[in-house]
Amino acid sequence: MTDLAARVRAVVERSVLPSVVARGGSLRVAGVEDGVVTLEASGSPGAALPLASRVEALIRAAVPEVTGIRVIGPGGKPPSAATGGLADRVRRVLDAEINPAIAAHRGRVVLAGVDQGWVRVRLEGGCQGCSLAEVTLRQGVEPLLRASVPDMVGLIDVTDHEAGTAPFFSPEKR
Amino acid sequence: MSAPDVAGARVLLLIPAQTYRASDFLAAAHRMGLTVVVGSDGALPLGGRPVLHADPRDPERSAARLVSRAGPVDAVVAVDTPMLALAVTVAARAGLPHNPIESVMAATDKAAQRRRWAAAGVCQPAFQIVRASAGDDAMAKAAAGTGFPCVVKAVSLSGSRGVLRADDEAGAVAAAARIRGVLARAGRPAREPLIIEEYVPGPEVSVDGLLTNGSLAVTAVFDKPDTPAGPTFEETLLVTPSRLPGQVLAAALDTAERAARALGLRHGPIHAELRIDTRQGRPAPAVLELAARSIGGLCARALRFTGGVSLEEMVLANALGYRPPPAHLGRPSGVLMLHAERAGTLQAVGGKAEAAAMPGITGLMITVPVGQRVHPLPEGDRYLGFIFAEADTPQDTAAALRAARSQLRLTIG
Repeated sequence: MTDLAARVRAVVERSVLPSVVARGGSLRVAGVEDGVVTLEASGSPGAALPLASRVEALIRAAVPEVTGIRVIGPGGKPPSAATGGLADRVRRVLDAEINPAIAAHRGRVVLAGVDQGWVRVRLEGGCQGCSLAEVTLRQGVEPLLRASVPDMVGLIDVTDHEAGTAPFFSPEKR
Repeated sequence: MSAPDVAGARVLLLIPAQTYRASDFLAAAHRMGLTVVVGSDGALPLGGRPVLHADPRDPERSAARLVSRAGPVDAVVAVDTPMLALAVTVAARAGLPHNPIESVMAATDKAAQRRRWAAAGVCQPAFQIVRASAGDDAMAKAAAGTGFPCVVKAVSLSGSRGVLRADDEAGAVAAAARIRGVLARAGRPAREPLIIEEYVPGPEVSVDGLLTNGSLAVTAVFDKPDTPAGPTFEETLLVTPSRLPGQVLAAALDTAERAARALGLRHGPIHAELRIDTRQGRPAPAVLELAARSIGGLCARALRFTGGVSLEEMVLANALGYRPPPAHLGRPSGVLMLHAERAGTLQAVGGKAEAAAMPGITGLMITVPVGQRVHPLPEGDRYLGFIFAEADTPQDTAAALRAARSQLRLTIG
Protein backbone atom coordinates (compact mmCIF):
# COMPACT_ATOMS: atom_id res chain seq x y z
CA MET A 1 0.00 0.00 0.00
CA THR A 2 1.37 3.44 -0.96
CA ASP A 3 2.01 6.11 1.61
CA LEU A 4 -0.94 8.11 0.27
CA ALA A 5 -3.27 5.13 0.54
CA ALA A 6 -2.00 4.38 4.04
CA ARG A 7 -2.71 7.94 5.15
CA VAL A 8 -6.19 7.83 3.65
CA ARG A 9 -6.81 4.51 5.33
CA ALA A 10 -5.72 5.94 8.69
CA VAL A 11 -8.14 8.85 8.32
CA VAL A 12 -10.99 6.55 7.34
CA GLU A 13 -10.38 4.21 10.27
CA ARG A 14 -9.97 6.98 12.82
CA SER A 15 -12.51 9.59 11.78
CA VAL A 16 -15.01 8.01 9.42
CA LEU A 17 -15.43 4.34 10.21
CA PRO A 18 -16.95 4.76 13.70
CA SER A 19 -19.84 6.81 12.27
CA VAL A 20 -20.45 4.30 9.50
CA VAL A 21 -20.23 1.35 11.88
CA ALA A 22 -22.67 3.06 14.23
CA ARG A 23 -25.14 3.12 11.35
CA GLY A 24 -24.68 -0.56 10.66
CA GLY A 25 -22.23 -0.51 7.81
CA SER A 26 -18.58 -0.68 7.06
CA LEU A 27 -16.22 1.14 4.79
CA ARG A 28 -12.79 0.27 3.42
CA VAL A 29 -10.32 1.93 1.14
CA ALA A 30 -10.42 -0.11 -2.05
CA GLY A 31 -7.82 1.98 -3.82
CA VAL A 32 -6.31 5.39 -4.49
CA GLU A 33 -5.52 6.29 -8.05
CA ASP A 34 -4.59 9.69 -9.47
CA GLY A 35 -5.73 11.33 -6.25
CA VAL A 36 -9.17 9.71 -6.38
CA VAL A 37 -10.05 7.49 -3.41
CA THR A 38 -12.33 4.53 -4.02
CA LEU A 39 -14.22 3.49 -0.90
CA GLU A 40 -16.10 0.20 -0.75
CA ALA A 41 -19.23 0.41 1.38
CA SER A 42 -20.72 -2.77 2.83
CA GLY A 43 -22.99 -3.86 5.64
CA SER A 44 -26.23 -2.03 6.23
CA PRO A 45 -27.29 -0.35 3.01
CA GLY A 46 -27.25 3.37 3.42
CA ALA A 47 -24.83 3.48 6.32
CA ALA A 48 -22.10 5.21 4.34
CA LEU A 49 -23.68 7.02 1.40
CA PRO A 50 -25.50 9.71 3.40
CA LEU A 51 -22.13 10.58 4.95
CA ALA A 52 -20.35 10.80 1.60
CA SER A 53 -19.91 14.57 1.52
CA ARG A 54 -18.69 14.63 5.13
CA VAL A 55 -16.34 11.73 4.43
CA GLU A 56 -14.89 13.54 1.44
CA ALA A 57 -14.41 16.73 3.44
CA LEU A 58 -12.67 14.86 6.24
CA ILE A 59 -10.34 12.96 3.93
CA ARG A 60 -9.47 15.98 1.81
CA ALA A 61 -8.81 18.07 4.92
CA ALA A 62 -6.44 15.45 6.32
CA VAL A 63 -4.84 14.37 3.01
CA PRO A 64 -4.69 17.38 0.69
CA GLU A 65 -3.39 15.30 -2.23
CA VAL A 66 -6.82 13.67 -2.53
CA THR A 67 -8.88 15.26 -5.28
CA GLY A 68 -12.03 13.17 -5.15
CA ILE A 69 -13.96 10.31 -3.55
CA ARG A 70 -15.85 7.47 -5.21
CA VAL A 71 -18.09 5.13 -3.20
CA ILE A 72 -18.84 1.68 -4.60
CA GLY A 73 -20.88 -1.27 -3.34
CA PRO A 74 -19.49 -4.60 -2.12
CA GLY A 75 -17.06 -6.04 -4.64
CA GLY A 76 -17.49 -2.99 -6.82
CA LYS A 77 -20.85 -4.31 -7.99
CA PRO A 78 -22.21 -2.07 -10.73
CA PRO A 79 -25.51 -0.50 -9.72
CA SER A 80 -28.72 -1.08 -11.58
CA ALA A 81 -29.46 1.38 -14.37
CA ALA A 82 -33.23 0.94 -14.41
CA THR A 83 -33.90 3.87 -12.10
CA GLY A 84 -37.07 5.19 -13.71
CA GLY A 85 -39.01 1.94 -13.42
CA LEU A 86 -37.50 1.30 -10.04
CA ALA A 87 -38.95 4.49 -8.59
CA ASP A 88 -42.43 3.62 -9.83
CA ARG A 89 -42.26 0.10 -8.45
CA VAL A 90 -40.98 1.32 -5.09
CA ARG A 91 -43.74 3.91 -4.92
CA ARG A 92 -46.35 1.24 -5.64
CA VAL A 93 -45.12 -0.99 -2.81
CA LEU A 94 -44.99 1.95 -0.41
CA ASP A 95 -48.53 3.01 -1.30
CA ALA A 96 -50.11 -0.44 -1.44
CA GLU A 97 -48.35 -2.46 1.24
CA ILE A 98 -46.39 -0.27 3.60
CA ASN A 99 -48.12 3.04 4.23
CA PRO A 100 -51.55 1.60 5.00
CA ALA A 101 -49.97 -0.44 7.82
CA ILE A 102 -47.69 2.31 9.09
CA ALA A 103 -50.66 4.67 9.28
CA ALA A 104 -51.63 2.77 12.44
CA HIS A 105 -48.73 4.59 14.11
CA ARG A 106 -49.49 7.91 12.36
CA GLY A 107 -46.48 7.33 10.13
CA ARG A 108 -45.69 7.40 6.45
CA VAL A 109 -42.76 6.48 4.22
CA VAL A 110 -42.17 8.59 1.11
CA LEU A 111 -39.76 8.02 -1.73
CA ALA A 112 -37.15 10.76 -1.65
CA GLY A 113 -35.24 9.59 -4.69
CA VAL A 114 -33.58 6.79 -6.57
CA ASP A 115 -29.93 6.91 -7.52
CA GLN A 116 -28.13 4.08 -9.30
CA GLY A 117 -30.29 1.46 -7.68
CA TRP A 118 -30.14 2.96 -4.20
CA VAL A 119 -33.56 3.89 -2.89
CA ARG A 120 -33.76 6.89 -0.58
CA VAL A 121 -36.79 7.14 1.66
CA ARG A 122 -37.96 9.66 4.20
CA LEU A 123 -39.98 8.71 7.25
CA GLU A 124 -42.67 11.17 8.27
CA GLY A 125 -45.28 11.67 10.99
CA GLY A 126 -45.08 9.18 13.83
CA CYS A 127 -42.07 7.44 12.26
CA GLN A 128 -39.87 10.56 12.21
CA GLY A 129 -37.73 10.38 15.32
CA CYS A 130 -39.49 7.25 16.61
CA SER A 131 -37.29 5.04 18.75
CA LEU A 132 -38.41 2.02 16.70
CA ALA A 133 -37.95 3.68 13.28
CA GLU A 134 -34.96 1.50 12.47
CA VAL A 135 -36.95 -1.62 13.35
CA THR A 136 -39.74 -0.53 11.01
CA LEU A 137 -37.26 0.23 8.28
CA ARG A 138 -34.97 -2.80 8.47
CA GLN A 139 -37.46 -5.48 9.55
CA GLY A 140 -40.45 -4.24 7.59
CA VAL A 141 -39.89 -1.72 4.82
CA GLU A 142 -36.61 -3.08 3.46
CA PRO A 143 -37.59 -6.76 3.18
CA LEU A 144 -40.97 -5.83 1.71
CA LEU A 145 -39.29 -3.69 -0.93
CA ARG A 146 -36.66 -6.33 -1.67
CA ALA A 147 -39.36 -8.94 -2.21
CA SER A 148 -41.12 -6.82 -4.81
CA VAL A 149 -38.18 -4.84 -6.20
CA PRO A 150 -35.28 -7.31 -6.34
CA ASP A 151 -33.05 -4.97 -8.35
CA MET A 152 -32.97 -2.45 -5.50
CA VAL A 153 -29.32 -2.18 -4.46
CA GLY A 154 -30.03 -0.79 -1.01
CA LEU A 155 -32.30 1.36 1.11
CA ILE A 156 -31.13 4.66 2.56
CA ASP A 157 -32.99 6.50 5.30
CA VAL A 158 -32.56 10.23 4.61
CA THR A 159 -34.93 11.29 7.39
CA ASP A 160 -33.89 14.11 9.68
CA HIS A 161 -35.02 12.22 12.76
CA GLU A 162 -33.94 15.01 15.10
CA ALA A 163 -36.55 17.25 13.44
CA GLY A 164 -39.42 14.88 14.14
CA THR A 165 -42.05 16.63 16.25
CA ALA A 166 -44.46 13.79 16.98
CA PRO A 167 -42.61 10.48 17.17
CA PHE A 168 -44.90 7.55 18.00
CA PHE A 169 -42.41 6.21 20.55
CA SER A 170 -39.82 8.32 22.37
CA PRO A 171 -36.88 6.84 24.25
CA GLU A 172 -36.78 6.93 28.04
CA LYS A 173 -33.94 6.66 30.53
CA ARG A 174 -33.26 3.12 31.73
CA MET B 1 -11.88 -8.01 19.53
CA SER B 2 -12.05 -9.15 15.98
CA ALA B 3 -15.63 -10.09 15.28
CA PRO B 4 -16.15 -13.82 15.92
CA ASP B 5 -17.51 -15.91 13.10
CA VAL B 6 -21.13 -15.99 14.12
CA ALA B 7 -22.59 -15.15 10.72
CA GLY B 8 -25.87 -16.92 10.20
CA ALA B 9 -26.60 -17.38 13.89
CA ARG B 10 -30.20 -16.63 14.80
CA VAL B 11 -30.80 -14.13 17.58
CA LEU B 12 -34.04 -13.03 19.20
CA LEU B 13 -33.71 -9.33 20.01
CA LEU B 14 -36.26 -8.07 22.52
CA ILE B 15 -36.61 -4.35 21.91
CA PRO B 16 -38.77 -2.18 24.17
CA ALA B 17 -40.61 0.57 22.35
CA GLN B 18 -39.08 3.39 24.37
CA THR B 19 -35.38 2.73 24.02
CA TYR B 20 -32.41 4.66 22.69
CA ARG B 21 -30.74 1.50 21.51
CA ALA B 22 -32.83 -0.25 18.86
CA SER B 23 -30.85 1.02 15.89
CA ASP B 24 -27.46 0.30 17.44
CA PHE B 25 -28.35 -3.31 18.23
CA LEU B 26 -29.87 -3.85 14.79
CA ALA B 27 -26.81 -2.32 13.16
CA ALA B 28 -24.53 -4.55 15.21
CA ALA B 29 -26.49 -7.67 14.29
CA HIS B 30 -26.45 -6.71 10.63
CA ARG B 31 -22.71 -6.08 10.68
CA MET B 32 -22.15 -9.50 12.26
CA GLY B 33 -24.31 -11.22 9.65
CA LEU B 34 -26.82 -12.46 12.20
CA THR B 35 -30.35 -13.43 11.38
CA VAL B 36 -32.51 -11.30 13.64
CA VAL B 37 -35.97 -12.02 14.97
CA VAL B 38 -37.39 -8.99 16.75
CA GLY B 39 -39.84 -9.07 19.63
CA SER B 40 -41.23 -5.75 20.83
CA ASP B 41 -44.08 -4.16 22.69
CA GLY B 42 -44.18 -1.57 19.90
CA ALA B 43 -44.71 -3.95 17.01
CA LEU B 44 -46.35 -2.57 13.89
CA PRO B 45 -48.67 -4.79 11.83
CA LEU B 46 -46.22 -4.70 8.95
CA GLY B 47 -44.98 -7.51 6.73
CA GLY B 48 -41.41 -8.23 5.79
CA ARG B 49 -39.79 -9.88 8.80
CA PRO B 50 -42.71 -9.33 11.13
CA VAL B 51 -41.95 -8.06 14.62
CA LEU B 52 -43.37 -10.44 17.22
CA HIS B 53 -45.47 -8.91 19.96
CA ALA B 54 -43.66 -9.12 23.30
CA ASP B 55 -45.32 -7.87 26.45
CA PRO B 56 -42.77 -7.49 29.27
CA ARG B 57 -45.61 -7.14 31.82
CA ASP B 58 -46.67 -10.72 31.13
CA PRO B 59 -43.39 -12.62 30.74
CA GLU B 60 -44.73 -16.17 31.00
CA ARG B 61 -47.41 -15.81 28.36
CA SER B 62 -45.18 -13.67 26.14
CA ALA B 63 -42.34 -16.16 26.44
CA ALA B 64 -44.58 -19.03 25.38
CA ARG B 65 -45.75 -17.08 22.35
CA LEU B 66 -42.23 -15.97 21.41
CA VAL B 67 -40.76 -19.46 21.70
CA SER B 68 -43.48 -20.92 19.51
CA ARG B 69 -43.35 -18.18 16.88
CA ALA B 70 -39.68 -17.23 16.74
CA GLY B 71 -38.49 -20.73 15.93
CA PRO B 72 -35.12 -22.00 17.11
CA VAL B 73 -32.71 -19.26 18.14
CA ASP B 74 -29.10 -19.33 19.29
CA ALA B 75 -29.43 -16.47 21.76
CA VAL B 76 -31.97 -14.14 23.32
CA VAL B 77 -30.85 -10.58 24.02
CA ALA B 78 -32.76 -7.87 25.89
CA VAL B 79 -31.90 -4.56 24.29
CA ASP B 80 -32.92 -2.58 27.38
CA THR B 81 -34.08 -2.98 30.97
CA PRO B 82 -37.81 -3.54 30.45
CA MET B 83 -37.12 -6.72 28.46
CA LEU B 84 -34.64 -8.32 30.87
CA ALA B 85 -37.08 -10.56 32.73
CA LEU B 86 -38.80 -11.61 29.53
CA ALA B 87 -35.47 -12.45 27.89
CA VAL B 88 -34.54 -14.70 30.81
CA THR B 89 -37.93 -16.41 30.66
CA VAL B 90 -37.62 -17.03 26.94
CA ALA B 91 -34.04 -18.28 27.26
CA ALA B 92 -35.07 -20.68 30.01
CA ARG B 93 -37.86 -22.12 27.86
CA ALA B 94 -35.53 -22.37 24.87
CA GLY B 95 -32.82 -24.16 26.86
CA LEU B 96 -30.28 -21.36 26.42
CA PRO B 97 -27.84 -20.09 29.08
CA HIS B 98 -29.49 -17.45 31.22
CA ASN B 99 -29.35 -15.67 34.55
CA PRO B 100 -31.67 -16.75 37.35
CA ILE B 101 -34.85 -14.71 37.12
CA GLU B 102 -34.56 -13.64 40.76
CA SER B 103 -31.07 -12.26 40.05
CA VAL B 104 -32.32 -10.19 37.13
CA MET B 105 -35.23 -8.93 39.21
CA ALA B 106 -32.85 -8.02 42.05
CA ALA B 107 -30.74 -6.04 39.60
CA THR B 108 -33.79 -3.93 38.70
CA ASP B 109 -34.65 -3.23 42.36
CA LYS B 110 -32.18 -1.10 44.30
CA ALA B 111 -33.57 -2.26 47.65
CA ALA B 112 -33.17 -5.94 46.73
CA GLN B 113 -29.65 -5.45 45.45
CA ARG B 114 -28.61 -3.53 48.57
CA ARG B 115 -29.88 -6.36 50.78
CA ARG B 116 -27.94 -8.93 48.76
CA TRP B 117 -24.76 -6.87 48.84
CA ALA B 118 -25.12 -6.40 52.57
CA ALA B 119 -25.47 -10.16 53.02
CA ALA B 120 -22.40 -10.76 50.86
CA GLY B 121 -20.28 -8.05 52.48
CA VAL B 122 -19.92 -6.02 49.28
CA CYS B 123 -18.77 -2.48 50.05
CA GLN B 124 -21.66 -0.04 49.59
CA PRO B 125 -23.05 3.08 51.31
CA ALA B 126 -24.83 2.54 54.64
CA PHE B 127 -28.54 2.44 53.87
CA GLN B 128 -32.05 2.01 55.20
CA ILE B 129 -35.12 0.91 53.31
CA VAL B 130 -38.22 2.90 54.15
CA ARG B 131 -41.63 1.39 53.44
CA ALA B 132 -44.05 3.26 51.22
CA SER B 133 -46.48 3.48 54.13
CA ALA B 134 -43.93 5.18 56.39
CA GLY B 135 -44.93 8.63 57.60
CA ASP B 136 -42.82 11.74 57.82
CA ASP B 137 -41.60 10.89 61.32
CA ALA B 138 -40.36 7.49 60.24
CA MET B 139 -38.65 9.04 57.22
CA ALA B 140 -36.97 11.68 59.34
CA LYS B 141 -35.87 9.06 61.86
CA ALA B 142 -34.40 6.85 59.14
CA ALA B 143 -32.54 9.79 57.65
CA ALA B 144 -31.17 10.82 61.03
CA GLY B 145 -30.09 7.25 61.62
CA THR B 146 -28.21 7.23 58.31
CA GLY B 147 -26.58 10.58 59.01
CA PHE B 148 -26.32 13.74 56.95
CA PRO B 149 -25.89 14.45 54.20
CA CYS B 150 -27.86 11.49 52.89
CA VAL B 151 -29.37 10.48 49.55
CA VAL B 152 -33.03 9.57 49.13
CA LYS B 153 -33.67 7.24 46.19
CA ALA B 154 -36.43 5.50 44.32
CA VAL B 155 -35.71 1.78 44.06
CA SER B 156 -36.91 1.33 40.49
CA LEU B 157 -35.81 4.29 38.36
CA SER B 158 -32.57 4.93 36.46
CA GLY B 159 -30.39 7.73 35.19
CA SER B 160 -30.49 9.66 38.49
CA ARG B 161 -34.26 9.98 38.18
CA GLY B 162 -35.93 10.01 41.59
CA VAL B 163 -32.68 10.68 43.47
CA LEU B 164 -32.16 13.66 45.82
CA ARG B 165 -29.60 14.62 48.41
CA ALA B 166 -30.90 15.79 51.79
CA ASP B 167 -28.90 17.68 54.38
CA ASP B 168 -31.29 17.44 57.33
CA GLU B 169 -34.46 15.70 58.50
CA ALA B 170 -36.81 18.22 56.91
CA GLY B 171 -34.90 17.93 53.63
CA ALA B 172 -35.21 14.14 53.70
CA VAL B 173 -38.96 14.31 54.29
CA ALA B 174 -39.37 16.81 51.45
CA ALA B 175 -37.17 14.72 49.15
CA ALA B 176 -39.20 11.60 49.88
CA ALA B 177 -42.46 13.39 49.08
CA ARG B 178 -41.09 14.68 45.82
CA ILE B 179 -39.71 11.30 44.79
CA ARG B 180 -43.03 9.62 45.55
CA GLY B 181 -44.58 12.13 43.16
CA VAL B 182 -42.05 11.15 40.50
CA LEU B 183 -42.87 7.47 41.05
CA ALA B 184 -46.61 8.11 40.81
CA ARG B 185 -46.20 9.99 37.53
CA ALA B 186 -43.99 7.18 36.24
CA GLY B 187 -46.82 4.73 36.92
CA ARG B 188 -44.85 2.79 39.51
CA PRO B 189 -46.77 0.76 42.11
CA ALA B 190 -47.67 2.76 45.22
CA ARG B 191 -46.15 0.04 47.42
CA GLU B 192 -42.57 0.73 46.32
CA PRO B 193 -40.25 1.59 49.21
CA LEU B 194 -37.56 4.26 49.15
CA ILE B 195 -33.89 3.99 50.05
CA ILE B 196 -32.06 6.38 52.31
CA GLU B 197 -28.31 5.98 52.02
CA GLU B 198 -25.30 7.84 53.21
CA TYR B 199 -23.81 10.34 50.80
CA VAL B 200 -20.41 9.06 49.74
CA PRO B 201 -18.07 11.84 48.62
CA GLY B 202 -15.39 11.08 46.06
CA PRO B 203 -14.86 10.36 42.39
CA GLU B 204 -17.53 8.37 40.57
CA VAL B 205 -16.92 5.76 37.89
CA SER B 206 -19.03 3.39 35.87
CA VAL B 207 -17.92 -0.12 34.94
CA ASP B 208 -19.25 -1.99 31.95
CA GLY B 209 -18.48 -5.63 31.44
CA LEU B 210 -19.63 -8.96 30.13
CA LEU B 211 -20.16 -12.01 32.29
CA THR B 212 -19.37 -15.49 31.08
CA ASN B 213 -20.24 -18.19 33.59
CA GLY B 214 -19.84 -15.64 36.34
CA SER B 215 -16.46 -14.32 35.23
CA LEU B 216 -16.37 -10.62 34.35
CA ALA B 217 -14.54 -9.28 31.30
CA VAL B 218 -14.45 -5.50 31.64
CA THR B 219 -15.30 -3.65 28.46
CA ALA B 220 -15.04 -0.06 29.68
CA VAL B 221 -14.49 2.05 32.77
CA PHE B 222 -15.72 5.62 32.53
CA ASP B 223 -14.68 8.43 34.84
CA LYS B 224 -17.54 10.82 35.62
CA PRO B 225 -15.61 13.98 36.41
CA ASP B 226 -18.50 16.45 36.48
CA THR B 227 -20.94 14.48 38.62
CA PRO B 228 -22.52 17.07 40.95
CA ALA B 229 -22.63 16.81 44.73
CA GLY B 230 -26.41 17.23 44.75
CA PRO B 231 -29.20 17.95 45.40
CA THR B 232 -29.73 16.22 42.02
CA PHE B 233 -27.16 13.97 40.38
CA GLU B 234 -27.08 14.64 36.66
CA GLU B 235 -24.80 12.24 34.83
CA THR B 236 -23.12 14.59 32.43
CA LEU B 237 -19.61 13.72 31.37
CA LEU B 238 -18.26 10.19 30.89
CA VAL B 239 -14.65 9.73 29.79
CA THR B 240 -12.71 6.53 29.20
CA PRO B 241 -10.18 5.15 29.95
CA SER B 242 -10.34 5.88 33.63
CA ARG B 243 -7.55 7.90 35.19
CA LEU B 244 -7.94 6.19 38.56
CA PRO B 245 -4.64 4.89 39.94
CA GLY B 246 -4.10 1.24 39.04
CA GLN B 247 -4.67 -0.16 42.52
CA VAL B 248 -7.86 1.84 43.02
CA LEU B 249 -9.13 0.84 39.60
CA ALA B 250 -8.39 -2.83 40.31
CA ALA B 251 -10.29 -2.55 43.60
CA ALA B 252 -13.24 -0.92 41.81
CA LEU B 253 -13.37 -3.71 39.22
CA ASP B 254 -13.15 -6.32 41.94
CA THR B 255 -16.03 -4.64 43.80
CA ALA B 256 -18.13 -4.55 40.63
CA GLU B 257 -17.50 -8.26 39.97
CA ARG B 258 -18.33 -9.16 43.56
CA ALA B 259 -21.49 -7.08 43.36
CA ALA B 260 -22.60 -8.93 40.22
CA ARG B 261 -21.78 -12.28 41.82
CA ALA B 262 -23.70 -11.37 44.97
CA LEU B 263 -26.78 -10.73 42.85
CA GLY B 264 -26.35 -14.15 41.24
CA LEU B 265 -25.67 -12.79 37.75
CA ARG B 266 -23.61 -15.13 35.60
CA HIS B 267 -24.26 -14.19 31.98
CA GLY B 268 -24.42 -11.12 29.80
CA PRO B 269 -23.72 -7.44 30.25
CA ILE B 270 -23.52 -5.46 33.46
CA HIS B 271 -23.30 -1.75 34.11
CA ALA B 272 -22.21 -0.73 37.60
CA GLU B 273 -21.88 2.69 39.22
CA LEU B 274 -19.34 3.15 41.99
CA ARG B 275 -18.06 5.95 44.19
CA ILE B 276 -14.50 5.95 45.41
CA ASP B 277 -14.93 6.74 49.10
CA THR B 278 -12.09 8.99 50.19
CA ARG B 279 -13.22 9.68 53.75
CA GLN B 280 -10.90 7.27 55.50
CA GLY B 281 -7.77 8.44 53.73
CA ARG B 282 -7.49 5.23 51.73
CA PRO B 283 -9.64 5.20 48.55
CA ALA B 284 -12.34 2.55 48.94
CA PRO B 285 -14.75 1.70 46.10
CA ALA B 286 -18.42 1.48 47.12
CA VAL B 287 -20.99 0.21 44.66
CA LEU B 288 -24.05 2.44 44.24
CA GLU B 289 -26.04 0.48 41.66
CA LEU B 290 -25.70 -2.36 39.19
CA ALA B 291 -27.88 -3.16 36.19
CA ALA B 292 -27.92 -6.38 34.14
CA ARG B 293 -27.51 -4.50 30.87
CA SER B 294 -24.88 -2.44 29.13
CA ILE B 295 -24.53 1.32 29.56
CA GLY B 296 -27.71 3.30 28.93
CA GLY B 297 -28.80 6.02 26.54
CA LEU B 298 -26.57 6.34 23.50
CA CYS B 299 -23.43 6.30 25.64
CA ALA B 300 -22.14 3.07 24.09
CA ARG B 301 -21.47 5.05 20.93
CA ALA B 302 -18.50 6.57 22.73
CA LEU B 303 -16.91 3.11 22.74
CA ARG B 304 -15.19 1.52 19.80
CA PHE B 305 -13.05 -1.56 20.06
CA THR B 306 -10.33 -2.93 17.87
CA GLY B 307 -11.54 -3.40 14.33
CA GLY B 308 -14.33 -0.89 14.80
CA VAL B 309 -16.36 -3.36 16.89
CA SER B 310 -19.17 -1.77 18.88
CA LEU B 311 -20.26 -2.59 22.43
CA GLU B 312 -23.50 -3.99 21.01
CA GLU B 313 -21.49 -6.41 18.88
CA MET B 314 -19.63 -7.48 22.01
CA VAL B 315 -22.93 -8.05 23.81
CA LEU B 316 -24.32 -10.11 20.94
CA ALA B 317 -21.12 -12.16 20.58
CA ASN B 318 -21.14 -12.79 24.33
CA ALA B 319 -24.75 -14.00 24.13
CA LEU B 320 -23.66 -16.41 21.40
CA GLY B 321 -21.04 -17.91 23.68
CA TYR B 322 -17.92 -15.95 22.80
CA ARG B 323 -15.89 -14.64 25.69
CA PRO B 324 -14.56 -11.19 24.82
CA PRO B 325 -10.82 -10.61 25.19
CA PRO B 326 -9.71 -7.66 27.35
CA ALA B 327 -11.05 -4.36 26.10
CA HIS B 328 -8.91 -2.60 23.58
CA LEU B 329 -10.17 0.84 22.77
CA GLY B 330 -8.70 2.91 20.01
CA ARG B 331 -8.31 6.34 21.63
CA PRO B 332 -9.60 8.07 24.76
CA SER B 333 -13.24 8.88 24.17
CA GLY B 334 -16.22 10.26 25.97
CA VAL B 335 -19.81 11.34 25.91
CA LEU B 336 -21.63 14.28 27.40
CA MET B 337 -25.31 13.85 28.19
CA LEU B 338 -27.53 16.88 27.85
CA HIS B 339 -30.12 17.48 30.55
CA ALA B 340 -32.98 19.92 30.87
CA GLU B 341 -31.95 22.59 33.33
CA ARG B 342 -35.55 23.61 33.98
CA ALA B 343 -39.06 22.46 33.17
CA GLY B 344 -40.76 23.73 30.06
CA THR B 345 -41.04 23.22 26.35
CA LEU B 346 -37.90 22.74 24.31
CA GLN B 347 -38.23 25.63 21.89
CA ALA B 348 -34.96 25.67 20.02
CA VAL B 349 -31.50 24.16 19.89
CA GLY B 350 -28.90 26.60 18.65
CA GLY B 351 -25.19 26.26 18.06
CA LYS B 352 -25.29 22.66 16.84
CA ALA B 353 -23.00 23.28 13.89
CA GLU B 354 -20.55 25.20 16.04
CA ALA B 355 -20.56 22.47 18.71
CA ALA B 356 -20.10 19.69 16.16
CA ALA B 357 -17.20 21.56 14.58
CA MET B 358 -15.20 21.79 17.80
CA PRO B 359 -11.91 19.84 17.67
CA GLY B 360 -12.29 16.27 18.86
CA ILE B 361 -16.07 16.12 18.51
CA THR B 362 -17.14 12.99 16.65
CA GLY B 363 -20.90 13.21 16.99
CA LEU B 364 -23.82 15.22 18.33
CA MET B 365 -27.41 14.08 18.58
CA ILE B 366 -30.43 15.89 19.94
CA THR B 367 -32.90 13.23 21.08
CA VAL B 368 -35.88 15.29 22.23
CA PRO B 369 -37.92 16.96 19.48
CA VAL B 370 -38.37 20.70 19.61
CA GLY B 371 -41.84 21.36 20.95
CA GLN B 372 -41.83 18.63 23.61
CA ARG B 373 -42.13 19.19 27.34
CA VAL B 374 -38.96 18.48 29.27
CA HIS B 375 -38.20 18.28 32.97
CA PRO B 376 -35.02 18.55 35.01
CA LEU B 377 -34.04 15.92 37.55
CA PRO B 378 -35.31 14.40 39.72
CA GLU B 379 -38.34 14.24 37.39
CA GLY B 380 -36.50 14.18 34.04
CA ASP B 381 -37.09 10.91 32.19
CA ARG B 382 -35.04 11.54 29.08
CA TYR B 383 -31.82 13.04 27.84
CA LEU B 384 -31.99 16.06 25.58
CA GLY B 385 -29.11 14.70 23.58
CA PHE B 386 -25.57 13.41 23.48
CA ILE B 387 -22.20 14.80 22.38
CA PHE B 388 -19.35 12.41 21.57
CA ALA B 389 -15.62 13.10 21.43
CA GLU B 390 -12.25 11.48 20.94
CA ALA B 391 -8.85 12.97 21.71
CA ASP B 392 -5.30 12.02 22.54
CA THR B 393 -5.89 12.04 26.30
CA PRO B 394 -8.89 11.71 28.63
CA GLN B 395 -8.32 15.31 29.75
CA ASP B 396 -8.43 16.56 26.16
CA THR B 397 -11.57 14.49 25.58
CA ALA B 398 -13.31 16.06 28.56
CA ALA B 399 -12.18 19.52 27.46
CA ALA B 400 -13.55 18.94 23.95
CA LEU B 401 -16.92 17.87 25.32
CA ARG B 402 -17.16 20.85 27.66
CA ALA B 403 -16.16 23.20 24.84
CA ALA B 404 -18.81 21.73 22.55
CA ARG B 405 -21.44 22.00 25.30
CA SER B 406 -20.60 25.66 25.73
CA GLN B 407 -21.53 26.24 22.08
CA LEU B 408 -25.00 24.74 22.42
CA ARG B 409 -27.96 26.96 23.25
CA LEU B 410 -30.95 25.00 24.53
CA THR B 411 -33.97 27.26 24.75
CA ILE B 412 -36.60 25.99 27.17
CA GLY B 413 -39.63 28.19 27.66
